[in-house]
Amino acid sequence: MSKIKVTDLHKQYADNHVLRGVDLEVKDNEVVVIIGPSGSGKSTLLRTLNKLEEPTSGSVVVHGTDIAQKGVNIDQVREQIGMVFQHFNLFNNLSVGKNIMLAPVELGKLSKEDAVKQAKKLLGVVGLENKFDASVNSLSGGQKQRVAIARALAMNPDIMLFDEPTSALDPEMVGDVLNVMKKLAKEKGMTMVVVTHEMGFAKEVADRVVFVDDGIIQEEGTPDEIFNHPKNDRLKSFLSKILEV
Amino acid sequence: MKRHFPVIRWLMVLSIGLVVALGLFSAPIKSNAAEKTYQIGTDVTFPPFEYANDNNKYVGIDIDLMNAIAKDQGFKVNFKPTSFNGAIQAVQSGQLNGMVAGMSVTPERKGTFDFSTAYYNSGVVMAVSQNNNDIKSLKDLKGKTIAVKTGTTGAQYAQSIQKKYGFKISTFDDSSNVYEDVLTGNSVACFDDEPVLKYGINQGTKLKIVTKPAAGTPIALGVKKGTNKDLVEKFNAGLAHLKKNGEYKKIMDKYLNAKKNTEDNHSFFGILKQNKTFLWQGFLQTLWLTIVSIIFATIFGVIFGLFGVLPIKFFRGLSSTVIYLFRGMPLLVLALFIYTGIPTLTGTRIPAFIAGVITLMLDEGAYIAAFVKGGIESVDKGQMEAARSLGLPFGKSMRKVILPQGVKLMVPSFINQFIITLKDTSILSIIGILELTQTGKIIIARNLEGFKVWAMVAIIYLVVITLLTWLSNWVKRRAKI
Ligand SMILES: Nc1ncnc2c1ncn2[C@@H]1O[C@H](COP(=O)(O)OP(=O)(O)OP(=O)(O)O)[C@@H](O)[C@H]1O
Ligand SMILES: [Mg+2]
Repeated sequence: MSKIKVTDLHKQYADNHVLRGVDLEVKDNEVVVIIGPSGSGKSTLLRTLNKLEEPTSGSVVVHGTDIAQKGVNIDQVREQIGMVFQHFNLFNNLSVGKNIMLAPVELGKLSKEDAVKQAKKLLGVVGLENKFDASVNSLSGGQKQRVAIARALAMNPDIMLFDEPTSALDPEMVGDVLNVMKKLAKEKGMTMVVVTHEMGFAKEVADRVVFVDDGIIQEEGTPDEIFNHPKNDRLKSFLSKILEV
Repeated sequence: MKRHFPVIRWLMVLSIGLVVALGLFSAPIKSNAAEKTYQIGTDVTFPPFEYANDNNKYVGIDIDLMNAIAKDQGFKVNFKPTSFNGAIQAVQSGQLNGMVAGMSVTPERKGTFDFSTAYYNSGVVMAVSQNNNDIKSLKDLKGKTIAVKTGTTGAQYAQSIQKKYGFKISTFDDSSNVYEDVLTGNSVACFDDEPVLKYGINQGTKLKIVTKPAAGTPIALGVKKGTNKDLVEKFNAGLAHLKKNGEYKKIMDKYLNAKKNTEDNHSFFGILKQNKTFLWQGFLQTLWLTIVSIIFATIFGVIFGLFGVLPIKFFRGLSSTVIYLFRGMPLLVLALFIYTGIPTLTGTRIPAFIAGVITLMLDEGAYIAAFVKGGIESVDKGQMEAARSLGLPFGKSMRKVILPQGVKLMVPSFINQFIITLKDTSILSIIGILELTQTGKIIIARNLEGFKVWAMVAIIYLVVITLLTWLSNWVKRRAKI
């Protein structure tokens, strides 16, 4: 069953045509990894999936609703799509626990007591059980990103979007965050769309890898097809560049 | 755009509340206007025509004469103490029925005023410092500077002979500043109505009169052209009556042949002691004006600041326009515009205090709106995106995530703005609000001790500002910001 279906998606900023006809389908329990050079439109594509960017044209059907249409109650759709940002974006005015509890309590999903229980449980899942009362600023980057994942999970989403979740982290922190994401994919069967430069993660976890360049999907396939038998020239040169590093 | 409705509704309710509150403020004043009382403007710093006496009650030729005529003719007078120019504008805008302020009848003024029968004939004289023996007549003024008070016959006379005698003119808003300028030697002489200068010299100002009265002009009650005929008629009838029964002469003698005042203690503490109640009242008025204005300016500023960050173009445009308009306008101009301009447009009188509050609300509010908007905008965009991505609506995201962070950034600006508001209340003395600065002007008009009185006023402002700073620091610590 398809969870997300993007058809002929275009996005234009003034005369900068960033997405130029993207078709993409994400199935239930599928992990899709998006790779591509800087500025190719990966973030833009990901952000149109929960309407943080408004598409210029095309359709973005999530759970059967075309969110590209006007008049859609986008807040309801967003409740079911968690998002994790490159720079964490934890709420600086709230403690770790309250970051996680804010949305479920404010949106009437959980009572305060239940939200506290859930937040503690989620902190356990991401390996930070004793940080409930900690202030956001006292955390390391890797800890922040794991709290951000817990925060997104608190709304019980069935899709998770990740925009380069590890690229702002010190190398020794990357593993912790990737492990949480792997756990999510493998143990919970979470449907995930992940923009990342971590090719190891893509090879190990992705069901499908999508290569975006110049505003369109140039090639997609299993990790084996993409990494070991690339056909597209741009993909080949992209891979050779990142493997050099 | 439906999802933004709750925030907007909330803001609308606030704006309506604001308008209603202002309406309530002005409501009782409207009913006052219906009473059979004439609102008379006067310049409270123009002895001996009008000034506050030792007990800070308004007295003088104009005041006593007007009161006597009112008693004689059976009407009531409500004196509105403003500056001379302020009174002129208030009469022209219909705020006041008329003015008695030692006002000369000139052809120019006849274009916009109707005048009563003249009750005095004034002549302009020139005065110089007592120890100045070089300037004995107009001929000695060549190349020198002289001082006059704006809008007086003295000023007009000086202008009319300026070319002939080749001097420069410095203008001031208050007599005491005119005298001070002569005494310090910046100007060599000053021109003013004879009674005015005589009063100043009686008060101990070290000037002497060196010319005979010239350019005699009649002084009369003025009303806006074509209005308040009844007031003029009653005034003329009353004046004729008082002249007959001798009361007119009594009043004139009382002020024009006053004995030299030697009893007043002109030391710093003597002045302070004599005026402490008056200064205290001025201080309270300043404080009250500041507090009320800060409340309204904060509400106004927060509303328009929030408008500036709404995801709706119309509101953002509105916000920028309001900020641009009121931040770009000098406070003085805004105050005069509101006090005299609005009644011209609406035909309803507006009390000086309300005009003052509106002025400060718009001006300080525009600054507050700018930093509220700026404070919110300087919160990282990712905060809003993260909140929205969780399914939180715009309004909730704003209230729970963005505002708490923005407010923290705004606190120092708020404290700063409150202090500025306190200082800016002094500008409202121009529309006659009897706050601390106006109080100072009035005391100085009587005792001509500018330096000492301004020192007192300055100290009072500093004390209040210090207290205000302490208070806000205390709040800041309590709120752990
Ligand atoms: N809000 C915006 N306004 C104007 N242009 C934008 C905006 N957001 C993105 N762009 C442009 O869109 C293009 C694609 O940006 P995008 O962030 O999607 O690239 P990316 O593939 O995620 O790159 P990176 O790997 O560096 O994150 C870039 O040229 C960028 O400058
Ligand atoms: Mg990106």
